Amino acid sequence: MATSDEIMEALADFKEQCNSNKRLRRMQRDWTKVLHYVAFDTGDKFTMTVKEGEIISNESSAAGTPDVIIEGESETLCNMFWGDINPTQMYLKGEIKVKGTQEDIMRIDAITAIIWPEV
Amino acid sequence: MSVIDDILSEKDPEKIRKETETNYREYLNPFVLRMFKNAGLDIIEGRREGASVWDVTGDKYIDCVTGAGIFNVGRHNREITDALKKALDVYDMGGWISIIRERGLLAKKLAEITPGNLKYSLFCCGGGEAVEVAVKLARGHTGKTEIICMENGYHGVTGFALPATGREVYKKPFAPLAPGYTHVTFNDINAVKAAITKDTAAVLLEPVQGEGGIRPADDSYLSGLRKLCTDNEILLIFDEVQTGFGRTGKMFCAEHSGVVPDIMVLAKSMSGGLYPISCAVFTEEISDFLIAHPFIIINSFGGTSLACLVALATIEFIEKNNLPERAAKMGKRFMEGLSSLKITYGELVVDVRGKGLMLGIEFPEESIGPRMASLLKKNGVISIYTFNNPRIIRIMPSLVITEEEVDFVVEAFEKSLKEIRAQESERKSKKG
Repeated sequence: MATSDEIMEALADFKEQCNSNKRLRRMQRDWTKVLHYVAFDTGDKFTMTVKEGEIISNESSAAGTPDVIIEGESETLCNMFWGDINPTQMYLKGEIKVKGTQEDIMRIDAITAIIWPEV
Repeated sequence: MSVIDDILSEKDPEKIRKETETNYREYLNPFVLRMFKNAGLDIIEGRREGASVWDVTGDKYIDCVTGAGIFNVGRHNREITDALKKALDVYDMGGWISIIRERGLLAKKLAEITPGNLKYSLFCCGGGEAVEVAVKLARGHTGKTEIICMENGYHGVTGFALPATGREVYKKPFAPLAPGYTHVTFNDINAVKAAITKDTAAVLLEPVQGEGGIRPADDSYLSGLRKLCTDNEILLIFDEVQTGFGRTGKMFCAEHSGVVPDIMVLAKSMSGGLYPISCAVFTEEISDFLIAHPFIIINSFGGTSLACLVALATIEFIEKNNLPERAAKMGKRFMEGLSSLKITYGELVVDVRGKGLMLGIEFPEESIGPRMASLLKKNGVISIYTFNNPRIIRIMPSLVITEEEVDFVVEAFEKSLKEIRAQESERKSKKG
C-alpha cells in the first residue's frame, strides 16, 4: 500500500520527467486534459492537469471535471508514476481501470513509451 | 541469392521475429509495435490459409479481423493465387492511358451483380480513394456541394474521404479539411431531413457501420433515405467497402433492404486479399458527368489488368461457392453461440449484433474490448475492437469459415469472458 504522500512524490517526479522532455512536449502539444487518479484501496484521489502537453499541476484531491479517470491499487499507481510497471499491461490485466476515450488511453501509453521506453 | 529468395528461405522464427521487431522499432513506428506487444497481438504472420493464420512460430489462429473484411474468400486463396500467377505469365499491370480488356470485363460483371440500375464503374486502389470518387461524382453530377454523412461513420483517411469520416480524432491534426460535410446521427431519418439544404449533393453512409461498432442501419431507415434523396434530387451513396461481396449474407448489403443507391463504393474483399483494387459503381445518369469530363478523375494504378483479373476470379469464387449464403448460415451459428454467452455472462456482454459474418459484441466498458482481444489471442483467435468504438469486438472471419471453426471461436469467447469475470471478481474483492 502506498500513502498519499508517496503517490504525490511519484507524481512530482513524473511531472518533472514529462515537462523536461522536449520531444514529448512537442508530441503532446494538442493534448489538454484533466486526469483523476483513484487509489481504490486507500480511497485517495489525485488530479493531474495537462495543458497543451505540459503537466501544469498535481493535486492530492479530485478537482475539476475529469476527462480521464484512472483507478487502481495505490501501490500500482505509485509504481506506474515511477515507471516501474507498464500501465498498458496493467490495464489489459484489469489491474487498472481507465474511464475515458481510447485516444486518451493511447496518449497516456505514448507518454510512458517516450519517458520509459524500456518498461 | 535474390532478395526474394533470401526472405522466403528464412525459416528461423526467432531470427524473423527479432529482425521484424527491430525494423518496426527503427524504421516504421515503435509505438505500433509496443501496442501490439502490450496487447499480446504481436503475431508475425507466416502461413495463411482458409479462415486461419499461423504465426511464424507455427501457432495457429482463427482470423476474425481479416483486415476489416479483406479476406472474404479466405486467406491465401489457392484458386485466386493461381489466377494471378497465370495472369502474371501474360500481363504486366497495363497502361492506364490505354484500353484494357480486363477492365471492361470487370465493369460488365459489376454491372451484372450490383443491384438495380448501377452500371458504370470507375476503378482505384483503396476504399478511401473510391469514396473520394463518389464524392466528386456527386458534386460533379449535381452541381451542389454539401455531403451529409454519419457520426461514427468511417470512410477512410484520404483527401475528400477524411472529412466524411465521422470522428474528430482522425481529422483534427490535419485541418483545414475540404469543406461541405455535415454529420448527423446514424439511423435517424429526421436528422437527415433536418440537415438537407438546397446545396445538398449526397447522403453518404455505410449500411452497416463497421468501425462505428458494427451497427446495421434499419431497412426502414434506408428506404426512407432513398425516398428522401429521390424527392430532393440528392444522391444516395452506400459505402460497401466492408459489407460488400457476401459479407452480410447477400452479395451486397443493400440487397437486404432492397434499396438501390445511386453510387456504391467497393474495395477490400474485391481484391481477393491479393491485389489492391477498389471502385465506385454508379448509374448511367451519373456517368454523364464523366462523358463531359472523361479524364477528370484518373488513377495510374486503378483497374490494372492484374487487379481486374484477380477481382474477376474473386467474384467467380464467391459465386461458385455461394459465399453469401454461407455467410448467412455461419453468421446465424455465431449469433446463436454468442447470444447464449450473453445470457451466461450478462454483466459482461451488453449486446450481440450484426448481419451475416459481420458481427460485433458490445461490452459495458471500453477497457473490456482490448482485454478481450488480448485473451482471445491466448485462446487461438485474432480479433480486435472497432476503431471508433473500443467497447465492441468485431467478428469478421473469412466467409469460408467452417462450422467447427465457428464453434472454436465461440468457445474462445467463452474462455476469455470467464477469465475477465475472474479478474473482475478478484479486483472487487481487493477493493472490498
